[in-house]
Amino acid sequence: MSTINRRDLLKAGAGAALLSALDAAFLGDAIAQEQPKRGGTLSYAQLSANRRSAGPNNSRHPYFIVDANTKQIWSTPTWVNPELGLELEIATKLEPADGSLKVWDMTLREGVMFHDMTEMTAADAVASFNYHRQNAPFARQITKVEQIGKYAVRFTLEAGNAEFGYVLAEYNSPIMKAAPLETIGLDGIGTGAFKIVQSDPNRLMILERFESYWRKGLPHLDRIEIHNREGQQESALNGLRSGQFDAVMNIDGRAALQFQNDPNFEIETARGGYSFVIQLPKHPGSPFLDKRVRQAFAYAIDREAIVRVAYSGRFGWIGNDSHLMVTDAAFVPRAGGRDVAKAKQLLAEAGHPNGINLGTLYWSPQLPEAGRYFQVLQQSVKDAGITLTIEERPNDGYIQFRTGDNDLSKGNFHKFAMTAVGSRNPGISLFRMRAAFVESGHWRGPEHDKYLALYNQAMVTPDAAKRKAIYAEMQAILHEEVPAILPAGGNTLMVKRKHMRNMPYHPQIWSIRYEEIWRA
Amino acid sequence: MTLFFRRLVRRPLTLFGLVLVGLHLLVALVAPWITPYDPLKLLDAPLEPPTEAYWLGTDELGRDFFSRLLLGGQISIIAAACAGLIAAIGGGLLGLASAYHRGLFDDVVSRLVEMKLSIPSILLVSLFVTGFGQSLAVLVLTMGLIYMMGVIRTSRAMGLVILEQGYVKAAQLRGESSFAIILREMLPNILDLLTVEFALRTSSALLLVSALSFLGLGVSPPTPDWGLMIQSGLQSIRSEPWLVLAPSLCISSLVIGINFATEGVAGLLGLEAARGATGK
Amino acid sequence: MLIAALRRVLLSCITLVMLTVFIFIATEIMPGDALDVSLSADEIAMIPPERLAKMKQDLGLDRPAPERLLSFLGGVLTLDFGKTLISKTPVTAIIGYPLRNSLILAGAVLLLAIPLALTIGIAAAVWQGRAIDNIASTGAIIGYSIPEFVIGTVLVMIFAVAWPVFPATITASTNDAALTLLAASPLAVVTVLIGSIAYLARLLRTGMVDALAKDFVERLRLTGIPEWRIVFLHALPAAIVPSLTAMALYAAALVSGIVVVELVFAYPGLGQELVRGVTRREVHVVQAIALCSAALVVALNFLADMAILALDPRTRRA
Repeated sequence: MSTINRRDLLKAGAGAALLSALDAAFLGDAIAQEQPKRGGTLSYAQLSANRRSAGPNNSRHPYFIVDANTKQIWSTPTWVNPELGLELEIATKLEPADGSLKVWDMTLREGVMFHDMTEMTAADAVASFNYHRQNAPFARQITKVEQIGKYAVRFTLEAGNAEFGYVLAEYNSPIMKAAPLETIGLDGIGTGAFKIVQSDPNRLMILERFESYWRKGLPHLDRIEIHNREGQQESALNGLRSGQFDAVMNIDGRAALQFQNDPNFEIETARGGYSFVIQLPKHPGSPFLDKRVRQAFAYAIDREAIVRVAYSGRFGWIGNDSHLMVTDAAFVPRAGGRDVAKAKQLLAEAGHPNGINLGTLYWSPQLPEAGRYFQVLQQSVKDAGITLTIEERPNDGYIQFRTGDNDLSKGNFHKFAMTAVGSRNPGISLFRMRAAFVESGHWRGPEHDKYLALYNQAMVTPDAAKRKAIYAEMQAILHEEVPAILPAGGNTLMVKRKHMRNMPYHPQIWSIRYEEIWRA
Repeated sequence: MTLFFRRLVRRPLTLFGLVLVGLHLLVALVAPWITPYDPLKLLDAPLEPPTEAYWLGTDELGRDFFSRLLLGGQISIIAAACAGLIAAIGGGLLGLASAYHRGLFDDVVSRLVEMKLSIPSILLVSLFVTGFGQSLAVLVLTMGLIYMMGVIRTSRAMGLVILEQGYVKAAQLRGESSFAIILREMLPNILDLLTVEFALRTSSALLLVSALSFLGLGVSPPTPDWGLMIQSGLQSIRSEPWLVLAPSLCISSLVIGINFATEGVAGLLGLEAARGATGK
Repeated sequence: MLIAALRRVLLSCITLVMLTVFIFIATEIMPGDALDVSLSADEIAMIPPERLAKMKQDLGLDRPAPERLLSFLGGVLTLDFGKTLISKTPVTAIIGYPLRNSLILAGAVLLLAIPLALTIGIAAAVWQGRAIDNIASTGAIIGYSIPEFVIGTVLVMIFAVAWPVFPATITASTNDAALTLLAASPLAVVTVLIGSIAYLARLLRTGMVDALAKDFVERLRLTGIPEWRIVFLHALPAAIVPSLTAMALYAAALVSGIVVVELVFAYPGLGQELVRGVTRREVHVVQAIALCSAALVVALNFLADMAILALDPRTRRA
């Protein structure tokens, strides 16, 4: 197999192509023909937050700033375009060394400068990925990373992976300046279009244009101010109206409806943006050890009501208990829909004829609709005799809270909790249901092994259509086993002032190209 | 008594306050029977404007807002009244005991009072919620404790005045126990004061409960509660302002009612309205 | 005079130590400990006992309570409130700037509230029973009967939504200069101010009414001293003294108000950190914030005591 071919990968997500056409229609001709202007500030509020708890000493580390902003400061080897196709970014070449798809060689772009004006080399990439492979879930499959030339790097994976290029586009795959594992990334220095001027954890980050950015002539903007307004959509929208902000990212459907007819603002959208996964713990004593309880839970949830209430109907879609988005060509809907009677019957079979109390489901306001989403869920499962308490936790530190230093061997259990799931290629998305990953609730057993075997088979299957068939088989296992629940999802929505140009939205909010945005 | 009522009628604000409180109590009492819908049920599309079916429209989850509004005071009123009762009875007894015994007991109580008054109530509740978990019982007990401190102060002062009167001396000479003296001779004399204190502390507790619910530390969803409703209503303040205004009006009118009524009644009873010693 | 002042310094210190002990007891000794409260009951039931013991040991929770209290007191003395349970960040680093910002807000409110409350309180007392008094008294009751978050919300509706003259939300950064912060937060200041004025004006009015009815004022009137001199030079100092004794209560109410208002306007102060701390069960953060606010109240109370000493000669003998 030769160099990874973008078109091959695109076939997997053919439906997505339609979306870019829609985007073009939204943008219109007038704006498309305008010449970009240089200078000015983009000040935006973000309502989403997915990050670890930052303190004064790590507030510039890429893992501790909100994921949606990472790529403004750091570059990643590859980039995922709005159609979820893979493109090369700071790498000029990425290819498997042999047919096993286990060893991948990457060549980095030459002459790329860090913000401190030192040149980026393979040594930086090696140091960075040695950090990532120990700290980022998707990069754990890298067993070895070594320098094989001044700009050449070799990755060795634990198993073949045809979609490995996507891992290198993750927000947790930035190239940082080489440093020992304990200190790498803390300096906040990257090769991105903007450099950090100020980072105030929980509130504000200020970025300024990096003059020697490797994409010549970019960025257009001089400055970006990112205001954190997680859980405070109304406050952020007030700021937008009063001119404090130029845009608010990740608004909910209700806000989009409010702004859609206002001539001063534009709504940007990308379909299939986010959904939520509910991890079901399967440690000793957990009710979720019983498959029937998990199935009953899946049948009891009124997913249509969630779409109606949390996503104002038209901005949402019903999930299928896998990490795939509805926009994915490989997505297979769950058969049967909601079935309260069946849920009750399953519960009775499992020994809970009078209903069951599932304890506390934790949630955090990672997106503005989360609160309503889980209240509807809580109310709807009552019909089947399932009671659960829902409790809100702050975003800051939520990852640690939810995963609980997740190490079963030490007796550290993760929680019955939700988290947001972003749009990704099937290879990454379906890999999230592996036993080793907390979001599957450490699902084990023969069905899991079969699932993983199918996954491994898919990963070394170069033919996209064959892969898709395997993905369908994997989803069928999920529908029966319900290791985790992904009830519904929604499109990503952004509202911006008209003077911000060339700022289309992206289903992966961390893959927006901020360097191409300009201010009229 | 007739004189009392005749004077009451001449104070329109007091009367107004009493009517407000009466109305609120009535609604809270009969709400479970008069709500048109189940306040927890997801009935219709969210954020419907007021219609004939839903008098105040639906809330952000599609529940009947009017039903929720009617029930939204129940929990806070019960919690606040319980806290007020604990404060008035506990504070009254402790204050009198402190005045009667003087000495070490008095010193310890006074120091405790002073100390507790130094921690802002919202922080005290936060401390206890962090320590004991977020539950209504913790909330009520903490608030009772907080407001007890102020009551101890006023009832102790009153107790000192009562001690000067002959009948306490007489009871002592009869050889009655100190407990009996406090309960039978002194307490009846400060019932007026304690009633006023109860009302004042209840109004403060109401403000505190609603503020805590607003902050997400008080009543938990999906229970209907004014503080919570205001918080979630803020998300659509521009398009559906009534979702914020209606519960705001409810909570404010209730507290204003209590305060007008207490102020007037305290004046009529010849008690210095102890507002200076309450704070929020 | 000096002895009386020293006595009050000592008393304030004792109160502070007792407060520290109390805060420790309230959060760490009573039913469980820092670990129990950071985990839910479901989880504790599921974690094996030996693992729980190990976790307690790691957090130093296996030591006897008096020993932990001593180390807590020692930590407080050196302004070390420990580290957060989740991120292991020093608590001082988390609450440093927010504490300063809340103090800025409190200072601004006090600066505006005192003169305004004085004016209203004096006017209401001088024209007692007249229209101005009735309006002021009724207004005061309404003012402190409406929750701060309702006042804040209504102000946002009027001055940021319907008639957008002020920012609805505060975008200033945690470590911005004091003036930048204040310039960004006029509505937040006004919201706290309304409650403060209502409370203080009422207090002052009562004090003034009492003072103006005193014998010495009557005697001064007879000597023909102009009324304004009597009001400002003689009655006012006598009226301020009882108001000052209620200072601790006012300060506590002020802090409570600020906590709520900070959340309405996203002001980067202690209120935000408090709610974050409580919801994350970060015991040490909540302890530190409670202690800081209590210390603030004690300090204000101490200042009030000193002012009383200066104003009222009779207290100097105590």
